[in-house]
Amino acid sequence: MVVTICIGSSCHLKGSREIVHTLESLIKEYKIEEQVQLTGSFCMGECVKGVCVKVDDKSYSLTPGNTKEFFMEEVLGGLKDECH
Amino acid sequence: MFGNDTNIDTIKQEVLYQVAKLSFLGELDEKKDALPYKLIPGPQANFRCCIYKEREIIRQRIRLAEGKSPSAGKDNKNIVQVINSACEGCPITRFVVTDNCQKCVGKRCQAACNFGAITMLRDRAYIDPAKCKECTKCSQVCPYNAIADLMRPCKKSCPVDAITMDENNIVVINEERCIDCGSCIKNCPFGAISDRSFITDVIDLLLNSPRPVYAMLAPAWEGQFGADITFSSMTNAIKELGFAGVFEVALGADFVAASESEEWAESYKEGKKMTTSCCPAFVKMIRKHFPQLVSNMSTTISPMTATARLIKALYPNAVCVFVGPCIAKKGEVLDTITLQGADYALTLDELAAMLRAKEVEPAASPDTIQQGSIYGKKFCISGGVTASVLESLKEKEENADITVKQCNGALECKKALALLKLGKLPEDFLEGMACEGGCQNGPGGVLTGRLANVNRDKLFGKADERKIHENMDNYKDLEFSMHRK
Repeated sequence: MVVTICIGSSCHLKGSREIVHTLESLIKEYKIEEQVQLTGSFCMGECVKGVCVKVDDKSYSLTPGNTKEFFMEEVLGGLKDECH
Repeated sequence: MFGNDTNIDTIKQEVLYQVAKLSFLGELDEKKDALPYKLIPGPQANFRCCIYKEREIIRQRIRLAEGKSPSAGKDNKNIVQVINSACEGCPITRFVVTDNCQKCVGKRCQAACNFGAITMLRDRAYIDPAKCKECTKCSQVCPYNAIADLMRPCKKSCPVDAITMDENNIVVINEERCIDCGSCIKNCPFGAISDRSFITDVIDLLLNSPRPVYAMLAPAWEGQFGADITFSSMTNAIKELGFAGVFEVALGADFVAASESEEWAESYKEGKKMTTSCCPAFVKMIRKHFPQLVSNMSTTISPMTATARLIKALYPNAVCVFVGPCIAKKGEVLDTITLQGADYALTLDELAAMLRAKEVEPAASPDTIQQGSIYGKKFCISGGVTASVLESLKEKEENADITVKQCNGALECKKALALLKLGKLPEDFLEGMACEGGCQNGPGGVLTGRLANVNRDKLFGKADERKIHENMDNYKDLEFSMHRK
């Protein structure tokens, strides 16, 4: 699973760096480093929607506040779906 | 807007300058649609068939300056992008019979061709492009050397075979293979390949970020703005753009040399061969084309990441912007977002555009700030990383009697990695630099050739003789890791 975080200036100002940090610690905590790759991207062109994050090709809009929720549902949840 | 001497660099530079200027004024979104008309007022075309094509090229270059793919709706992640409106689809067939053909009796070319592509015209042989499979045999057997191999310049320059054509002969870059080296950008005579930019993001942060933004100058910057523009002069100029401060990446390079020297000493004892990890195009070549060798790569972070970590150890809130002649560093930034290294990367031509946009002219300064040792500074020259690591081993009184294959350019890197993969590399270590001559000849520089070398040598000549470890001692209170994980 590839999780791509927009690092354009607008998303940077809305906290993309904190989101990267949170996701990274959660990935470590749940020991799924081998299954999830975190990568950055140029501006995704959706600056209004807050910090833009993609899981594979599906887009999400995140804030540092709802990052943990997103991780539980989409990253951990997504991995579970992949297993089944 | 453009005169008769229009070349690719001036077009690129002009677009970056105009975009930077509007970004600093906060008017980019409002005025970017008018830019193609400002730059190409018409009615006469300057360098292409018509003003409409020229304006489309400008439009696509503006998108690249904004960090987007040149064509809306055709987004991909690659740093190196095709400006398809500028690609001429070079209608050259690869093998062509030249005037040297004597229409000889032997006709070895015809005999060598397994595809029946060669016929004889009235005065010379002819290769039917529809039948030719580009096997190269005819050109090899011709006793007059009369068959020319005219590969498209982009394709010829690519060290990893990442370039193909679509059905209309327009260049397509294979993202899975591309290592961001920028060789095709330098070699396309039509300027149809270029790199995405973080320039608008960096300007936005300079204007709006509550966090301090720091610039980090790669060693290869020295000499690019003239022989009298020292690090102190450049620091003053860059601060005028709104940066909080400037650091030399040569300082991070000193830490890299020390860390790699420890790794090399250990691996030498274990009999394990190791490669450097500072050139991002070389690292990408290993990851994409020699994945078996990832474990042979040094785990030391790059000088860019090291410098950023040092800055963040001093100022935890800092936003770090790398500036150098390298395009692949932009890819490194995206690939290493979890490493707490550089937040953005710019090329030197992008920095030049920002300086011009703010009407800042770097001027000679009486101050003589030096952060990196001369060994760190020389990381930008082929063989420089090896020299620094060996120096660090000597300073620590370790065995420096080891052999290193210094790969100058991507093709040499590829050959040496192939040997290493087969277990046949004679040397103990491998230094990889994707640009010939080292970073100093990177595709994002502003000055190349002899003048750049003369300027750099003059500036390097002014550096003091501090040692690597002595220099690092100045920062011994700072805590940051020098490894990827």
